[in-house]
Amino acid sequence: MTTRSNFVLSGIVGIVLAFLMLPLVAVMVSSFSGGPPMAFPPQRFTLRWYEAISADYYGALRTSLIVAVGATALSVVIGTLAALALRRGRMRGQRLLSILCMSPLMVPTLVIGVAGFQFTLVLWDIFHLSIADTIIVLTLGHAAFCVPFVIRSALVAQAHYDLTLEEAAQNLGATPVETFFRVTLPLLMPGIITGGIFAFLASFDDVPVALLLGGSNTVTLPVKILTSIEFSFEASIMAVATLVVIVSLVLMLIVDRLIGLESLIGVGRG
Amino acid sequence: MATRESRPRRWRHSRSSEPDGASGAGWTWLILPALFVLTVIFFLPMAYLASFSLRPHIGAGTVGSGVTLANYVRFLSDPFYLGVLADTLLIGFVVVSICLLLGYPVAYFLARSRSRWRGVLIFLVVAPLLISTVIRNLGWLPILSDSGLINWVLLELGLTRSPMRLVNNTTGVIIALVHTFLPFMILALVTVIQKIGSDIEEAARNLGAGPLYTFFHVILPLSRPGLLAGYLVVFTSVISAFTTPAMMGGKRVLIMSTLIEQQIRSVLNYAFGAAAAMILLGVAIILTLSSLRQEAKQ
Repeated sequence: MTTRSNFVLSGIVGIVLAFLMLPLVAVMVSSFSGGPPMAFPPQRFTLRWYEAISADYYGALRTSLIVAVGATALSVVIGTLAALALRRGRMRGQRLLSILCMSPLMVPTLVIGVAGFQFTLVLWDIFHLSIADTIIVLTLGHAAFCVPFVIRSALVAQAHYDLTLEEAAQNLGATPVETFFRVTLPLLMPGIITGGIFAFLASFDDVPVALLLGGSNTVTLPVKILTSIEFSFEASIMAVATLVVIVSLVLMLIVDRLIGLESLIGVGRG
Repeated sequence: MATRESRPRRWRHSRSSEPDGASGAGWTWLILPALFVLTVIFFLPMAYLASFSLRPHIGAGTVGSGVTLANYVRFLSDPFYLGVLADTLLIGFVVVSICLLLGYPVAYFLARSRSRWRGVLIFLVVAPLLISTVIRNLGWLPILSDSGLINWVLLELGLTRSPMRLVNNTTGVIIALVHTFLPFMILALVTVIQKIGSDIEEAARNLGAGPLYTFFHVILPLSRPGLLAGYLVVFTSVISAFTTPAMMGGKRVLIMSTLIEQQIRSVLNYAFGAAAAMILLGVAIILTLSSLRQEAKQ
């Protein structure tokens, strides 16, 4: 690469990365500004927006975390089992089954939300079962698009995996159960963790499903932020957002240290 | 008989007779929990969505019995709704094209660079992906609003007298969508470019081709199927996106996703909302399948 074209390329890369960082920086800067939240330039440094964060936001954060943890846990368990079956099982229509298991990824989450919402109406009509606006229905709605993430990365983990290791363990006297917990599962763990992280992020990020299936009892943090800016823009929203950004960045650094961000990407949802 | 199979024969035998082995019928049952759960939370709701789209609308929040194509006919014969679909595709086209133009240099740099900054750069590209879309959109408000950064610069420089409207309209939606999907584009392109060996590029250089010539005559033609696959994947995500258009459009930008949400939550025409959702789903599936075909070509 010639020096000049290298220089131009680096310049473009710098500008694009600055564009990517810009809104994150803007959230943080305006959360400390004493002036109106959307105005530039920022005015005198203040922490009062952090003191003004209302309990509603902590409640919404709590709901988001409960739903995300629940949806991730469910997805990790059934997704890992499904990935094992898809790789090792002997069944007719194996290909069809794996397409079916991945199919929620093809469906826009808004459409999943609409379908889930109408299904709750059907359940009410048939069984008089009222499940709308509960943590459980939100968790299940999120699981619909979280399960395929886990299946996909657990399948990828098994693709580079030597099945003879299990045979070796059994030849050395391990029982099938011991083999599963001491050989199979540890080897699959990086894939399961990656899938779990994606599932968690997808759930924590979701607006449409939470908006359609949830109500006043189950306001998640993204829905709370979205509806607050429609009515009144309080600067403490920026403070909440900054806290979430900081926690996300710290978690990301931990993930980077533990499994490496590069192994995480390449399986991102398109 | 020459075989590449290096495993002992005995193993091959045990594989088919022992259900607890590395593979076998015993494992098959493990698919059942996922199939059961997905049936209840995904396949049945989707089936009901399809059936709702074929039922008549008889009043706010109710669908009648019987089967009708009226909802689809209404959508596909009304210029207003066709316009919404066209706007959706147009916004998708603009957003993904910008993503491609901005993302290609970064992806090229990441794929080829052996710089010690590579890890940091990857972190910066991935970081926004792991932060809530709502929060990233929020960050655009102090930049794009009437009293925000860009209008402040424009007013200070005297380039404009009154603030430009950059949010609560299509401009704001496009900027934020580009920001949301650019990292996906970059990651897709990195994989595509890495597949083209850098030795091919060096060969072109050694034969006297300049960087631009090499790019347009060697790299671009070789990466075309992968590029198209990445383009279609990101395009599908953009036209399906709800959060960013809803937040940055301030209820003024009507595209498929915001139209569907409006029909379901405000207009309460569940049958028509379901039909619109099925149409968006149809478009998304066609695009996904064609991107898979392109990927297979690469």
